[in-house]
Amino acid sequence: MTAPVISNVPEPSSVEPTPHRPAPRVRWRTPRWMRGTVLVWIAAVVLAVAVLCAVLAPWLAPYDPARIDLMNQSASPSAAHWFGTDSLGRDMLSRMMHGARTALLGPLLVVIGSTILGMLLGLLAAWRGGWVDAVLARLFDLLFAFPALLLAILAVALFGKGLVAPVIAMAIAYAPIVARLTRQLVLAEKQRAYVSAYRVQGFGGGWIALNRVLPNVTPVVGAQSTLNFGYVLAELAGLSFLGLGVQAPQSDWGSMINEAQVGLLSGHYLPAIIPAVAVVLVVVAVNILGEEFAERIGGNKA
Amino acid sequence: MSLLEISQLTMDLPGGKRLLHGIDLIVEPGRTVGLVGESGSGKSLTARTALGLFPEKAKLGGSVKVDGTEVLGLSGSALRALRLNDVAMVFQDPRAGINPVRTLGDHLTEALRLGEGVSGEAARKRAMELMEAVRLPRPDKHFHQYPHELSGGQLQRIMIAGALMGNPRLLVCDEPTTALDVTTQAEIVRLLATLRDERGMGMLFITHDLGLAGALCDDVVVLAGGRVQERGDMAAVLANPSAQYTQRLVAATPSLHLDDAVPAAVTGASLPDGAGPASVAGRHEAAPASQVGAPEAGQGTWAGDGVVEPLLRVDGVRRTYAVRGKDPVTAVADASFVIPRGSALGVVGESGSGKSTLARMVVGLETPDAGTITVAGKDRTGTPRGREARLAHARSVQMVFQDPYLSLDPRIPVHRAVRDAASLHADGRDAAKVATELLDRVGLTPEQQQALPRTLSGGQRQRVAMARALAVQPELLVMDEATSALDVSVQAQVLQLVTELRAERGLTVLFISHDLGVVRRVCDETLVLRRGEIVEAGPTAELLDHPAHEYTRLLLDSVPRPDAGWRLAG
Repeated sequence: MTAPVISNVPEPSSVEPTPHRPAPRVRWRTPRWMRGTVLVWIAAVVLAVAVLCAVLAPWLAPYDPARIDLMNQSASPSAAHWFGTDSLGRDMLSRMMHGARTALLGPLLVVIGSTILGMLLGLLAAWRGGWVDAVLARLFDLLFAFPALLLAILAVALFGKGLVAPVIAMAIAYAPIVARLTRQLVLAEKQRAYVSAYRVQGFGGGWIALNRVLPNVTPVVGAQSTLNFGYVLAELAGLSFLGLGVQAPQSDWGSMINEAQVGLLSGHYLPAIIPAVAVVLVVVAVNILGEEFAERIGGNKA
Repeated sequence: MSLLEISQLTMDLPGGKRLLHGIDLIVEPGRTVGLVGESGSGKSLTARTALGLFPEKAKLGGSVKVDGTEVLGLSGSALRALRLNDVAMVFQDPRAGINPVRTLGDHLTEALRLGEGVSGEAARKRAMELMEAVRLPRPDKHFHQYPHELSGGQLQRIMIAGALMGNPRLLVCDEPTTALDVTTQAEIVRLLATLRDERGMGMLFITHDLGLAGALCDDVVVLAGGRVQERGDMAAVLANPSAQYTQRLVAATPSLHLDDAVPAAVTGASLPDGAGPASVAGRHEAAPASQVGAPEAGQGTWAGDGVVEPLLRVDGVRRTYAVRGKDPVTAVADASFVIPRGSALGVVGESGSGKSTLARMVVGLETPDAGTITVAGKDRTGTPRGREARLAHARSVQMVFQDPYLSLDPRIPVHRAVRDAASLHADGRDAAKVATELLDRVGLTPEQQQALPRTLSGGQRQRVAMARALAVQPELLVMDEATSALDVSVQAQVLQLVTELRAERGLTVLFISHDLGVVRRVCDETLVLRRGEIVEAGPTAELLDHPAHEYTRLLLDSVPRPDAGWRLAG
């Protein structure tokens, strides 16, 4: 399903060997099978680098991210500090690597949580129908009316700062998106004769729903959830920028931008720009990958 | 000069796959040429080249001439002129080919108004004329109606009228009646014959149904695998097919054998307990529907005499659907009938006759509003509740569904699908072994058994569906249009399999179909449903040879056959 049609074989007309030009013509265009995928490959590399940095931060980072070096404040990039240092003289590269851990872990947990919660609720609504469906649909509408960020801030206000409260709040806020999609897919799947066939064979409704229908809708839902990852990452970074996320001395991309605000006024742009660029790059990369997944799975259905 | 002259037409895909291998075909004015073949034979690809329609990247060779003008390589504007004035096409599914949010009048006049700059009033007049020509009852009303307000048959008439707007000399019909009921099909085909004669058009008629081609066409070209297998006069080819492929096709087409005797293999000889065919309780063409075949009718074949308890007893079953804002629709009204153990009952009817609802109630997917369903003396009315009831119901009745592309779980390899069914009803059997044996029996190779459904053909999938149903060891097998999505040769194989399995296992079959020819091949007894009511029932051969009810006669007259007389304008 992944292999694109092998079409980099030149068209017959362009292949006719001309005697005067024995060497094959240099082709400037990217081969067709790569055209859509160059971007996808770049996105995959960006994401892989971010994940590797996050996972291997304790071993890769050249310095302790919390080590303050007041002799070396707001240094420019150098061999010792590739990304320079921040206003407290902390090594930016090390902070970025450690910051990647919270920046990626938060959205990952949110996506996993919202996917599981949303799929179960969506399946329940579609499978049971009737009043269950009606009640759940209203519940989703209610949750849609709340901006996810607002819900997260509310959770922070109630349960305190940190990663846990916002992650749970965001997981709940994103669940309806997953649930609605799941509900649509399950409703369509429910009409297909194979579900009736399972019933006629004597399988129970719950078994069919969980063991047969759910796995059949998972690829599409999963691809859509990947897209949520990017949005959540941006929103959690925003939360952390507001000072409601993880607390110092732990580093996080959002809070790093916040701390660098002061430096902006005195002309030290880098400590703010680096984490901001990282957020943008990762969000874009995740979106490109997510759309690619969605397209491939959607295109290969039926 | 011929109207359409296709010579040595070849078509290659960019990957190097050759779809058409040098097709020759000629259509003269006023004549109808049938282009017959099974799916994948290249019949649509061939015919569409007459309008300059072909896959974007395909490479074509040979020539396609309309009235002496070469169509291949024609420029965009010349092609549009060709389609506007010379060649028109009628497609298979009228609903898929019309814009649902625009009125029919809009659809009909669009090409004239925008293509030829004809004034709105003149175009409207022409549309009215043509709607009358295609025998639509209320042209002035239809002009302002939307597609959803018309039935499939009416809509296909609109599509035909639309195709005639430019006064084409050649009409290409691509399976124009496949999506329609048999009685509607007969009307449309008669209409096409009339229009061809009135206008002296040439017609290229694509179909998979040799019987339908025989009913309409003067000449025939039989295609298989992108090659012409046989060509010639329609009647001569049917009477005396020379190519091996055509011979097989003729043998496999049920509608061509409607008058033949029921094949010996399905008659009483194979039935285990002496409950021979011909035991539906009498024939009651004039009696109220509720009496037909009902046990109370007391015709004495089995009811009450205690000799053979029927395997399936359906008694006064009724099902109505509530439609929001409209009167409830009665899908099945007071249906009563029985099937003796080991016998096969055919249920025949058109779409909306309630035959599928009946099947779904028998297998327990729906609950009847009234009446009872008994299988082997046990009550099986309604959807089973609880694990025990579900399993018991499943062991009484299994079902093979219409569309083999939807009835298998796309994610589950076929062997596992059969094994799952077998292990749910294990009874001490080794489920994996049962699955292997059954799949071997229905003719799947070991590689195919491990494959996912999407890699299998329609016929293979339907075999899997049968193996899966048999894995449960049911007493009754319901087949709901189980062969109607298949090519005729594949259908013949599946029907043969049904016949063999009945002989081997003494299986009782409820066979639902719209195709009288298929029913003739498989069923001992047949009942005819119309709008939820049983209008006639009896032994299949007798019922088809001497239909008593007018609706049965109408159905029989609608079966496309060479001697149906539709070729003459009706």
